[in-house]
Amino acid sequence: MPSSYKLSYTKTDADLLNTLKSPSKGYWIALFILSIGLLIGAYGWGSQIYYGMGMSGKNNPVGWALYITTFVFWVGIAHSGTLISAILFLFRVRWRAPVYRSAEAVTVFALMVAGLFPLIHLGRPWVFYWMLPIPQMGEMFPNFKSPLVWDLFAVFTYLTVSSTFFILGMMPDVAILRDKFKGWKKKVYGLLALGWRGTDQQWRHYTAAYVFLAALATPLVISVHSIVSWDFAMSVVPGWHDTIFAPYFVAGAIHSGLAMVILLLIPMRKWFALKEYITDHHLASLAKLMIFTAFVVGFAYVIEFFMAWYGGDIYKRDVFLFRAFGTYWWSFWGLFLFNFILPMLFWSHKYRTSTFWLIFVSVGVSIGMWLERFVIIITSLSHEFNPFAWGFHELTITEVYIIIGSFSLFFFLFLVFSKILPVVSNWEVKEVIEPPRKK
Amino acid sequence: MEIKRRDFVKLLGAASVATALPGCTRQQPRNLIPYVIPHEEIQPGKAVWYASVCRECPAGCGVHVRVRDGRAVKVEGNPVHPVSEGKLCSRGHAALQGLYNPDRIQQPRRKRDGRWERIDWDDVQELIADKIKELIDEGRSDSIAFINSHQTGSLDALIEEFLNTVGSTRRINYEPFGYEGVKKASDTVFNVEKIPNYKFSEARYIISFGSDFLETWMSPVKHAREFGQTRELENNRMVPFLHVGPRLSMTATNADEFIKVKPGQEYLLALGMVHTIVHENLTRGIARAQINHIRAVVEDYFPREIENRTGISFEKVEKLARTFAAANPGVAVAGNPSLDGTNNALTVAAVHLLNYVCGNIGRTVLFEQTDHLERVDSYATLNRFVRSMEQGDVSLLFIYDSNPSFTMPEVSGFNAALERVDLKIALSSYFDETSAQADIILPVNSPLESWGDYEPSNGVYGLMQPSMKPVFNTRMAGDILLSLKAKINNGDNDTSFYDYVKERWREHHQRFAPDADFEEFWVGSLANGGRFTDTQTISFQLNTGLAKQALEELKDSDPSTRDGFQLVTYPSLNHYDGRGANRPWLQEVPDPMTQMTWENWVEIHPEDAEQLGVRNGHKIEVRSSYGVIELPAYVYEGIQPGVVAIPVGQGHTEYGRYAENNGANPLQLLSASPTDTTGSIRWSGLEVSVINKREPLRIANVAGSDYQNERPFLQVVSVEELIRNSNREPKKEYPQIYDPHEYPEHRWGMTIDLNKCIGCSACVTACYSENNIPVVGKEDVRRGRELSWIQIQRFFDAREDATNGRFLPMLCQHCTAAPCEPVCPVFAAYHTPEGLNAQVYNRCIGTRYCSNNCPYKVRRFNWWDYDFPSPLNWQLNPDVTVRTKGVMEKCTFCVQRITGARQEARLEGREIRDGDVVPACQQTCPTDAIVFGDLKDPESRVNQLRERNKPRGYRVLHELNTQPAVVYLQDVVEETVDN
Repeated sequence: MPSSYKLSYTKTDADLLNTLKSPSKGYWIALFILSIGLLIGAYGWGSQIYYGMGMSGKNNPVGWALYITTFVFWVGIAHSGTLISAILFLFRVRWRAPVYRSAEAVTVFALMVAGLFPLIHLGRPWVFYWMLPIPQMGEMFPNFKSPLVWDLFAVFTYLTVSSTFFILGMMPDVAILRDKFKGWKKKVYGLLALGWRGTDQQWRHYTAAYVFLAALATPLVISVHSIVSWDFAMSVVPGWHDTIFAPYFVAGAIHSGLAMVILLLIPMRKWFALKEYITDHHLASLAKLMIFTAFVVGFAYVIEFFMAWYGGDIYKRDVFLFRAFGTYWWSFWGLFLFNFILPMLFWSHKYRTSTFWLIFVSVGVSIGMWLERFVIIITSLSHEFNPFAWGFHELTITEVYIIIGSFSLFFFLFLVFSKILPVVSNWEVKEVIEPPRKK
Repeated sequence: MEIKRRDFVKLLGAASVATALPGCTRQQPRNLIPYVIPHEEIQPGKAVWYASVCRECPAGCGVHVRVRDGRAVKVEGNPVHPVSEGKLCSRGHAALQGLYNPDRIQQPRRKRDGRWERIDWDDVQELIADKIKELIDEGRSDSIAFINSHQTGSLDALIEEFLNTVGSTRRINYEPFGYEGVKKASDTVFNVEKIPNYKFSEARYIISFGSDFLETWMSPVKHAREFGQTRELENNRMVPFLHVGPRLSMTATNADEFIKVKPGQEYLLALGMVHTIVHENLTRGIARAQINHIRAVVEDYFPREIENRTGISFEKVEKLARTFAAANPGVAVAGNPSLDGTNNALTVAAVHLLNYVCGNIGRTVLFEQTDHLERVDSYATLNRFVRSMEQGDVSLLFIYDSNPSFTMPEVSGFNAALERVDLKIALSSYFDETSAQADIILPVNSPLESWGDYEPSNGVYGLMQPSMKPVFNTRMAGDILLSLKAKINNGDNDTSFYDYVKERWREHHQRFAPDADFEEFWVGSLANGGRFTDTQTISFQLNTGLAKQALEELKDSDPSTRDGFQLVTYPSLNHYDGRGANRPWLQEVPDPMTQMTWENWVEIHPEDAEQLGVRNGHKIEVRSSYGVIELPAYVYEGIQPGVVAIPVGQGHTEYGRYAENNGANPLQLLSASPTDTTGSIRWSGLEVSVINKREPLRIANVAGSDYQNERPFLQVVSVEELIRNSNREPKKEYPQIYDPHEYPEHRWGMTIDLNKCIGCSACVTACYSENNIPVVGKEDVRRGRELSWIQIQRFFDAREDATNGRFLPMLCQHCTAAPCEPVCPVFAAYHTPEGLNAQVYNRCIGTRYCSNNCPYKVRRFNWWDYDFPSPLNWQLNPDVTVRTKGVMEKCTFCVQRITGARQEARLEGREIRDGDVVPACQQTCPTDAIVFGDLKDPESRVNQLRERNKPRGYRVLHELNTQPAVVYLQDVVEETVDN
């Protein structure tokens, strides 16, 4: 525990309440801009439902494009939260305490946004529930052979577990809020606190349940992204049909998750004056971890190429050559630059402690990871088996609208969350600081 | 092909209904339920077929029109008609879109003060009759003139009769592609101004000197049918086919060897071959004196000389000559009107000689079955007529089914001359370039709504009957003329065109069945689609006056191509001379060679393109002394360097929403003066300059790649390889992890013989017609969203030793282990107990995963709700669901036909027999490349074909273990010279 922590129980309580005070002008402006973004997204989706999937830039070979790219991207982002809250919890990393709450929020919100994309990309979104395991249309169940059904289950499981984890983790803190507020707010927080009294018995059960949930959430990081990767790997599409996909996707998800965590922590500690909780040391630790994940994804990129050559399959070989030198060459080299080369800056202490470079690299990695999915999905589909059917995706404004909408929704939810719920876990911070003693 | 008894009864019934129709044609229908009191033959939900004749081009194929609930929904070939024998081309199918074209003129119109207004039929006919009477009274009846498309039979006679009544002789039978060169050559060589018919099926060797006989030349369906028969392998050998010409047309690409020459050089090879044949005494069936005569005529054409002038080695010329002469009989064809201007007549004359010395005349070249296109007036005649129009000699002009404003060179001055005519009456279904300039438009019935008869060649009398009541307030041209005639004679019109046609058929009655009852004969003829007979032999001989000089005179002046390009314009496969351009199917079904849709292009050789810095799809300007047009470049290996080629048919400024603003009309580049040799339009040989506009255009090209990139999708073998492979067993299938499907009754499958597929794309159009496939338009085709369930995929690199394009009909393979099925989350992609990969539209939620996972990429997604602008929606096949936006669709193996056949079999208390189910693509395929059937029945044709051609059979992407139900038979390249 670094000595820089000079906190007291009262101070943490006050800080917690401070974050929930009436928001600043900047907050309202941000919220307003995000609402416009949301409306743009809603308009995009609305028009797509009304006119048809033709509003997006897809075509015959490229049946999946930016929506699925963005879906996988958000699922990847979601892993940041679980990574920090559950895995670091199980490993008893002490500095996790102040940051994990927002990380969990990232998980939940990113999953909510991600969950929209499979609906957005459906040709007939109004019958999406046919994918759910409820008997409809003559007792028909979904096709459990389809990776899309597995995917649905995986994402929903993940959403359920992480939401539970999120809500449960907040209970003691929300109880503080319940106690501090009056009127309707008290009632709402009271509801969320689920009758938390802070008794010993409750604490005992609570901590046990918490470990249990953390242990449950951790394998989900692996399983969810493995299953998402199977959406691709289970197909016959050259460039998708690879056994490396599951670990490759998980590593990628963690990579992008780390970047997103850094991107969220830096403004948060500034806005909420949490410098004492989230120190440069923490960020530097994340940056170091990122070097590691960069190597993992970098290795995956190289090994994919190696296998494409070594495997001797002409279709796969051509897809990889197409990736590197074809129409979308920029996306391929872009992902290499952003995901692998850029994080190498963090070898230097100077870069990993500089806020600017942290943000710069994290934005780069986020873009890079989005590009990675773009490369996987679009270049493979564009250059499949039948050369006569090759074709390219063409960006449309509707897709841009919807992607703007998705980012707006994510940040909108986060912003709203930051003003109504405790962004920092008070009780766990208290755990790591000196308890107040009678003088 | 024989007609089944049951079909005959069905047709007979239909015909009797048809005969009952005209009684009520005078009533104007307010809606499309044509029978107030349904005839007992007509049951709701049950199709009736009417035999008629396709009038989309001069070939005159017999058709059967499928009518459901009073509406024509499909056109198919008439199996007993000698031209089509049950087959049909794309344009034939699209006749329906002529009938239901949303841009049809719906009632008579008259232009007043530059604005179109409606007018009653009676008033307008009164008005015209008054004008005619006025002219007659003034003694200027000869200023009444009539331009019409190629007509034969009753309408031809009626037009003649009408002009007699008004006292005029000015009539032009105009076809832009008029075959003047063939007539001229026949006249020079044989003293008969005739166009022979060719019998490819009898030939043992085929050489085409620039004739695109599989696409637009004379009677493409008939030729394709017969060509298909020559592609049948016998002991691993087949009839060789050689093509000589300036560009790799669809016909050329089907050749075993394509020899590229400059336009106008084709005759050299032909004469070189004649030279060899007469000097080596390889002639057949001609007298010594004649051999000497011919020897003198061709004495200058030593094979060495040919080599000097064309670059074809003299050994090759000699070998070709020997092989061709030994074929006994071979057939050499020439006379592509698109080569008029580049020694076309000379080429035909040379080919006539070649056929003559090889003894092919009378065996594969039939002058006794001459084509009636010979009655078409030459362009020179029309041009002279335009001059007299300019002089003001024409006061009243009828234009029927002809669009000279579009199909004459722009500088011919037709439009200006038309302005000098007082009253211009267009008998037209559409608002085209010519009728737009008329004063009165009398909308005529579509051929599918009309009575009539059509004789494409001697002895073929096709009979047309309306398949439904007119969609709009239109009339048959014949009825209009009859009532005008009556009005001019101040009498009442008591005959309809139906009566007129029937009356004329009394003549045929006398010829064919004088003993039978006429009514019986008539109804029988209707059911049959006409009467067809073999014709008597016409004796003729070599023109004794034929001399070297006569051939020299057939030479067109050499274009002075100093640094410019030589232009070749040619009729396009889908639009012919432009008349097909307003049929959306024909716009959307890609040109098989270039895979372009919705516009035309300029073919330019890669070397030339590089020199000019032109890239594929970039805008280039083509400029001649007469005009200038801008089009996208199509960089094309298949064209001779120094030559540019442009298809005719696009670039309409009028002619409806589908035709307008697509491409440019190359007739704007052409000279007004006819060729000296033949009097035709100078379609080719003009010098043009090409300027790179350096502007990429958004072209709608369907081909993702022109090359298969070392992927064995389309397999082509040489005869030698085929013999080497003859013991090859089909590849074994790999094991499956899932339990294999059980097919208790049937397992539907298909065998596609690539050796027979010529790429004509008739199957594609038939599929659009049968399966209610929407047309998506240029923008969506460009984006790769065309919905064709079957595609004719063309690859140029199927063989290393030939750059010919080859065709692969790609449709849903109905895999046994289909990758599309397990990935669908909602079971919309589903394997039926009969082996079909069914797509349950109602269940589909549109994840498109099936399409991603389809290695053949044959699934099609509904990106929008597609529009069928009224009345095009009346064409929709009631047996097939119209899909909504957001669902996947694809080839169903025409499941509605399978169901229909099953019902019929059940009603008759039997099993489905082989041949009961014929999907639309197979039904129309002119070469019989597609065969469908039950794979569980070892005797079925589909299995027999596989069995017989075992070494050639392969499945695309066999290594993926999808186990498709479609087996392709490798394309074969035959050797063109004997060694």
